[in-house]
Amino acid sequence: MKRVRNILRYIIIIILDIFVMIVFHSYINFILLVGLILFPIYSIIGVRKAAEGLSLKVEAPVEAMCRGEEFDVRFTVHNDSWFPLVNVNLNLEFSNAFYGKTGGHVLNIPVRAGKETKVTYPIVMEYCGRFLVEVNEISLVDILGMQERRIPVHELAECLVFPNGAERNNEAGRIYLRGVSEAVESKEKGYDFSDISGIREYIPGDKLQNIHWKLSVKKDDLMVKERVSVSAMQLNVLVDLSNNEEMSAEGVLELADSITKGFVVQNLPFTVYYYSTNTGGLNNCYIGNEIERKQWLEMVLYDRCYMGEALTEDLFIRQNPGAGSYLYIGVVEGGNEDVIYGDRKAGALLKTQG
Amino acid sequence: MFGLKKKTEDVHKGDLLITDGMYLKQATMNNGHIVLNCFLRALIVFFLVLGSIGGFLSAFDINYNFLMVIIVFLLLSMYFSFLYAATRLIYRDIGYIIFFVFFVGAIYVLRVYANSGFYSIVNNILNKAKAFFDLPGVREYEVQIDNDYLTVSIVTCFVGLVMIIVLNIWMYSIMSMFWTMLFTFPILFIPIYMKLSPDPMYIVFLMIGYMAVMIFKANGHYVVFAWDSPLKTRGLIKKRVSYTQDSTIFRQTLLSLGVISLCVVFVSSMMISPQAFERKFNSDRLRDLTSEAIGNFILLGVSSMFNEYPSTGGMSGGRLGGVSNVRPDYMTDLEVSFVPHSNDAIYLKGFTGGIYGDNQWESIYDPEQGEKLDTNVIDDDASLQAEAEKLKNDTGKYHGSGRMIVKNIGADTGYTYYPYYTLSPNFDGLFNYSGIDYGEEREFNFYPKIVWENELGNKCPKDMDVSGVSSIFLDVPEKNEEVVSDISKKIGLNDNMTEYEIVDAVRDYFEENYPYTLKPGRTPDKEDFVNYFLTKNKKGFCAHFASSAVLIFRHMGIPARYVEGYAFSMESVFASDEIDGLDPSDYYQGYSALGDAPVMKVEVSDAQAHAWVEIYVDGFGWRNVEVTPGSNEITEENDFWSAFSDFFGAGVTDNNGNNAGNVIGNLNLSRYSGVVYLLMGIIAFVIILSYVRILIRRIRRYRNCNQKNRRDAAIAQYADVCDMIRICDKGFDGCRSHKEQLEYIKDRYDDGINVEDLKTDLERMSFHDDYLEDKRMEEIIQKMGELRKLIRKNVKLKTRMMLWKR
Repeated sequence: MKRVRNILRYIIIIILDIFVMIVFHSYINFILLVGLILFPIYSIIGVRKAAEGLSLKVEAPVEAMCRGEEFDVRFTVHNDSWFPLVNVNLNLEFSNAFYGKTGGHVLNIPVRAGKETKVTYPIVMEYCGRFLVEVNEISLVDILGMQERRIPVHELAECLVFPNGAERNNEAGRIYLRGVSEAVESKEKGYDFSDISGIREYIPGDKLQNIHWKLSVKKDDLMVKERVSVSAMQLNVLVDLSNNEEMSAEGVLELADSITKGFVVQNLPFTVYYYSTNTGGLNNCYIGNEIERKQWLEMVLYDRCYMGEALTEDLFIRQNPGAGSYLYIGVVEGGNEDVIYGDRKAGALLKTQG
Repeated sequence: MFGLKKKTEDVHKGDLLITDGMYLKQATMNNGHIVLNCFLRALIVFFLVLGSIGGFLSAFDINYNFLMVIIVFLLLSMYFSFLYAATRLIYRDIGYIIFFVFFVGAIYVLRVYANSGFYSIVNNILNKAKAFFDLPGVREYEVQIDNDYLTVSIVTCFVGLVMIIVLNIWMYSIMSMFWTMLFTFPILFIPIYMKLSPDPMYIVFLMIGYMAVMIFKANGHYVVFAWDSPLKTRGLIKKRVSYTQDSTIFRQTLLSLGVISLCVVFVSSMMISPQAFERKFNSDRLRDLTSEAIGNFILLGVSSMFNEYPSTGGMSGGRLGGVSNVRPDYMTDLEVSFVPHSNDAIYLKGFTGGIYGDNQWESIYDPEQGEKLDTNVIDDDASLQAEAEKLKNDTGKYHGSGRMIVKNIGADTGYTYYPYYTLSPNFDGLFNYSGIDYGEEREFNFYPKIVWENELGNKCPKDMDVSGVSSIFLDVPEKNEEVVSDISKKIGLNDNMTEYEIVDAVRDYFEENYPYTLKPGRTPDKEDFVNYFLTKNKKGFCAHFASSAVLIFRHMGIPARYVEGYAFSMESVFASDEIDGLDPSDYYQGYSALGDAPVMKVEVSDAQAHAWVEIYVDGFGWRNVEVTPGSNEITEENDFWSAFSDFFGAGVTDNNGNNAGNVIGNLNLSRYSGVVYLLMGIIAFVIILSYVRILIRRIRRYRNCNQKNRRDAAIAQYADVCDMIRICDKGFDGCRSHKEQLEYIKDRYDDGINVEDLKTDLERMSFHDDYLEDKRMEEIIQKMGELRKLIRKNVKLKTRMMLWKR
């Protein structure tokens, strides 16, 4: 519409100029008319030439961000030609793939002749998920605003945004102890019946009892023993990613993040189950350390939450009839003292089959 | 650093909501400094003003100090443009006021230079116009300072200043090509009309300016302020993030425009010269049709457009009512050579009106046919042959015979102008329809009645023998009968009064009750000229008095007719030149009240055109009667140029010929006129500026709230409501979400709104064009309208004023 208006305005000016030129025999209007005819030609050729040498780059942080953290997305448009472009529109499509939320807008920038135009977008995500920004089309408008030229592009950048669950190590530890009876017994007897799976450097939060003192003296650095608890193989954590209008999945993920972080910090391995929309079934993942936990979170965020009734628990029981106790993290009704509550009605409750 | 994690707290405030849970904080882009941007914008204004004014002066070959003018234009353009780089609005207003003070001081100090420069330019134009329009003569305006090079430069700077201020405001508000052209191009129509072309350099400037305006109008990004972020979210819709300004793109665009304009202008002018271009046209219909009117305009100014008479101040040929004011050009219409013989004014008769109707006196003669309209009039010849015969044969003491030569310089050629009482051997030559051509001389033998004896006309109209007079000279149109009858009663006329008593009574009544003015105003279309003058307007010039008197005389039974021509007093005669080498006795013989007098050549101007009455005197014939009161108006040179010049305060001179300032000076305020000027100017400027700003804001708001996209309009209306409440109640700022805002509104202004529904609709329609039905959109818009009314209604007067001013 704006282009039509610009064209009409230009035509009216040409008509007026011709009118004055003819009626008044005006030489100045004759010269202006030559200019008025040549400028659109220059303008249209200019936009075509500029379109040939235009390139776009979209960048987002490689490392994962946390919910509520600000991160920069950068758009760089380079114009090789010597035609300046006053209006270039980038059709930006943003999405949080995990929740399936999309939104878009047009970014309108100038593109200088022979130079780069850089725009930095500081983004903050209130929900965790997979941030995606995509540019599929650039539209260039000539300097007289008469012609729009669309260039198809496919530039995409993404960034994972992890939940930012609060530290709830004590609660996680308590529920773990309750859930794994063998572990409780062994702790009472003073046995450690777990196997050592490896040695690694100490990271803050590791238990002092796991420090390999002999090796630490040798290496002059604190080393810890990584253990695989036999009994932990039997602690299953079910994370139900069903979502609703109150964004319950966000609360569930946050609580799961808090609890699993607590498990890892206390070296309490576990197996986590969740319903994958991508595979259409239950996915499980054994987690013994923070790296594995992050990998699991990445897997979850590359997946999608689902709407409707909770499926995870039913599927788990059907697929693992003798699994015994398990920790359910999902939407839980209030009033139960055994539940660890999170935001958005999320709760973690120890359950036993049968 | 790119990708670096940043801690953030309140992520929502002022951010753009991209989608649910995803926010964009203030986006950044390196778009150059605002000052550079303002400088580039100042260049556009500079090009336009220099192209327009410089082009105008160059077309007329008027020299000026080019360097001084471009420096002043550039500095002024930059000054006003840089005001927009001020970080607060108040600084810009202060900048304007400071400049205005400076401007008033400068115009006060340099007013004589500006006045002289202006007159110098006008003289140049008039000289060119004289040649182009083949005008008989144009007025030369006297310049007080002879240094045209300097004075023209100074007045150019002042005129340019006005253009720069206005254009600069437009550059930052509407960037309208239409208004830009309307403001800069019309000045060039004057040289264009006279087939004069500006220098190519100025065409380049204009072309760059026009194209730059067109480009930025078409692309936007011209409304920019120092406090703007590099990238801005447009409106509340938040679906478009646009850059505000970019100095690099501005510079590159201007540069490319400059190169192309230079190429276009110089290549075009090399390929086709102005002369070759002119040869392409076979006819010049516009100039054929309008040159006369334009010529009049150059001579008379704007007033020439409001008069229907072909020659303002000259003959009107009996047409009445089409003139709102008479502005004579004081150009010579007739040259009259004769020997003065009496102190009485000389009347040169040109037109005789017999029948009155439709605000017009119809000539006794049909100019087309060369015949009398009414065959009954044959005995009452308007050329006064019978009376002249009587006077020729008069052998009394006061008998005289003269010879008068009348040369037509600029008078209407449709008439013959001859004195009382002319006897021509060639009788046909006196007929009005023959006329006197320009430059033609006509000789008349006349027999003046130097002393009128009292007994003439000393009869009551009822006793007069008017059988030899046509009935048309006693006819009063029906529509005038009542008014004329009433006015006759008011004057106190009765049947027992003699002819001369009636004439004196009418003259005295007019003198006392109907002031003379050259600016009576136009007679409304449906009004009768005489009735309107006598009953409503009650002021006028000679045509009003003469026409009314004719009808009154007729009503009283005195045959009367309306006459137009020229009348000049003996003062004019005495101020004229003698003609050497001519024998006065060849021009006059007989009794003279002035004794021996030489042959004089009197230049009669259009200001001396006049209308009077002829009444029939029983026993003598037709006699001229003056009924127009004397004028108390100060003679003004009310042409366009003088009026404009007076603006500079140098147009009025005192008795000693010194410059006496302006109108304020005449009110004995001259000592303080500078201060008065300054105060009045500042007050006026501040008021106008405030109103303009309010107006611009209102227009923008109206356009936003009534745009075609109803979703955008609905959101804009909601924003408008929120703005209103913020002005009324500071506590509203604490509301951070739609819900809080709506609850606040509900509590204080309208408890009938459904907060949840409205909140949901407002939030969701921000992300989807088609989320809401049109009906719901209209409902929201209507609701916002109601809210605005409620807010206005519920606030105090002071707050209401603040709302009005926003």
